[in-house]
Amino acid sequence: MIRRNGFTDETLEWQSWLEPVQPAEATPLQLEVLDESHPQSRTSPYYLTLAHQPLMLRHRSAAYNAIMYAPGGLPRAERELGAMVVSVTNGCVYCTSVHAQRFEQLAKRSDTVEQVFDDPRMAGTTEREKAIARFAIAVTERPQALAAEDIAPLRAIGLSDEEIIDLLHAVAIFGWANRLMQNLGEPVPPF
Amino acid sequence: MSTSLDSIDVIDHAAGLAPGDPLHAARRFRQKVVEATQASHDALLLQPVDGLSPADRLRVAAHVCTLAGAASLEQHYADRLADAPDRDEPSSPALPAMLAFAAKLTTDPRLGDRAAIDALKRAGLGDAAIVALAQLVAFLSYQLRVVAGLKAMRAGQEGTR
Repeated sequence: MIRRNGFTDETLEWQSWLEPVQPAEATPLQLEVLDESHPQSRTSPYYLTLAHQPLMLRHRSAAYNAIMYAPGGLPRAERELGAMVVSVTNGCVYCTSVHAQRFEQLAKRSDTVEQVFDDPRMAGTTEREKAIARFAIAVTERPQALAAEDIAPLRAIGLSDEEIIDLLHAVAIFGWANRLMQNLGEPVPPF
Repeated sequence: MSTSLDSIDVIDHAAGLAPGDPLHAARRFRQKVVEATQASHDALLLQPVDGLSPADRLRVAAHVCTLAGAASLEQHYADRLADAPDRDEPSSPALPAMLAFAAKLTTDPRLGDRAAIDALKRAGLGDAAIVALAQLVAFLSYQLRVVAGLKAMRAGQEGTR
């Protein structure tokens, strides 16, 4: 278990500031979209809150699942690294906990997680991880200033156009995910 | 809606990608992402929501892109607003509260708190409208970053040719 700077890789709960949809009162479409979105979504206050707009949730989940889970392209552990760095940069404690765990499961180690919690700007156990973390921060903090110089380090570690776009998608969609988690509710203390 | 190899979507348009460009083709390696991103855009703007008109959503979207400095997307949403069937109807009395919520969410996701949600409720928005508004604004943070990243990739490719 890692706890540093207010972040943790422990499993957290999240509570909504809105009234989540009650599964017993959900429409067939809401239930269908919940089941498409995540295996545990019928008991998740987050997904049950988003289920107020089932078609918006459907397309969000299709994008999210394709970005984070589709085979080929950038290794999934590196997509999770991008997601974790963005979540720390945005201060999203809940998303950070989830994606720290996913990184640990995929990479089978937690040294990088400790570094990201300590300081995402300096994080990375290899040049490859460092380049990914720096790009994730640049996309998060200064999207309009992104330039060829921000792409060059990714080319230098050998990423193809398709792999760079995989990373860009993973990093950008945490701009979306973090904002929902941080603005529709909060993680439940203690953490 | 078509997202085949010879078509362009909102992200291609905003990033300046055309069929035949290597990056236009590279995006289609993740055809599902391309399709779901465009479908999200369409649902977020057009899906009927009580208390959140399509024109007000476009006003929020253009405002977010202005704040973020995303000029090509700002133009896209301004153009859509100019063509919106409800553009001449009065905007919602809740629009100032929506714009304030969108501004906080866009500039720093840490600024979100329960008081911001309560302000939307006081302005008359129900939970389903608040979810739609939050999804729209959060999506824009994703969309403008994908566009900016593709532009940076394109700049690098043009520099090496």
